[in-house]
Amino acid sequence: MHWFSHVLFLAQASPDDVVREIARLQRNFQFLGYGFWAAWAVLIVFVLTMVSRERRLKREISSLKAMLEERQKR
Amino acid sequence: MREKILYLLALAAFVILARDIYVIARFPPEMNQGNAFKIIFFHVPSWVAAGTAVATALISSVLFLITKSFKFDATAVAATEVGVAFLTVGLVTGSLWARPIWGIWWTWDERLTTTLVLWLLYGGYLMFRHAIEEPTQRATFSAVLSIFAFIGVPIDYFSIRWWRTQHPSPVFFSSTGSFPHDWGMVMGWNIMAFLMLTVVFVAIRLEQEQAQREIDSLRRMAHAL
Repeated sequence: MHWFSHVLFLAQASPDDVVREIARLQRNFQFLGYGFWAAWAVLIVFVLTMVSRERRLKREISSLKAMLEERQKR
Repeated sequence: MREKILYLLALAAFVILARDIYVIARFPPEMNQGNAFKIIFFHVPSWVAAGTAVATALISSVLFLITKSFKFDATAVAATEVGVAFLTVGLVTGSLWARPIWGIWWTWDERLTTTLVLWLLYGGYLMFRHAIEEPTQRATFSAVLSIFAFIGVPIDYFSIRWWRTQHPSPVFFSSTGSFPHDWGMVMGWNIMAFLMLTVVFVAIRLEQEQAQREIDSLRRMAHAL
């Protein structure tokens, strides 16, 4: 039934309709790509934020420890 | 050992998601929506991940109020931050689906509006934490805010069942929706991969919160000397 309705549609469709339908499908495929890229991009930005925070925390811990050791020596 | 497990989980999630992109691309276009429909394979898993993360934040916040243990406060903030990241993925992918299907990026429909309110509440929670200096007060107020924010989650989830919305009716756990079996399998794998990423992200953020507490105690020692 499903393929039959497609055949029926194609038999009734004008060349303009077919061109419009192809353009619609291409546009939808384009937005599928945007969706996938956006999902990955948000997650990658989040991971990069975590990495930069990790570096800042390590730097801060080592500088505080060094400062404390220096103060204790005095 | 713990780090190795986390790296393995992240790697497994990445492999599953990369493989699924290939599988999804080979699926035929959906009859009415074409290929844009396939955004659902990233949209729904991101909501499941976000829901799991904010539920973890809720439980941790309740446990903090009961026990006053700061490890629960750390878990709550770690889970909330990951939840906000996945909520963002859900909102962005939803908007990218709406543009070709509805012809608009956004509409003030019940589901979309309650989701945006949820995103603002949890985003506000993260900003609110920076406003209070005193750790116990910060953790207590944040826990109350997290519990309050979670009220929005069931409202958001049931909005498409309670009201007639522009957002599509539920596909899963519903008599109205249907999903082909092989598509459902891929959706299941994607949900699992997103949940694995949630675990990895929360664990890493938790370690960072512990490092932050170490910094706070080192600062106090430095002031005392």
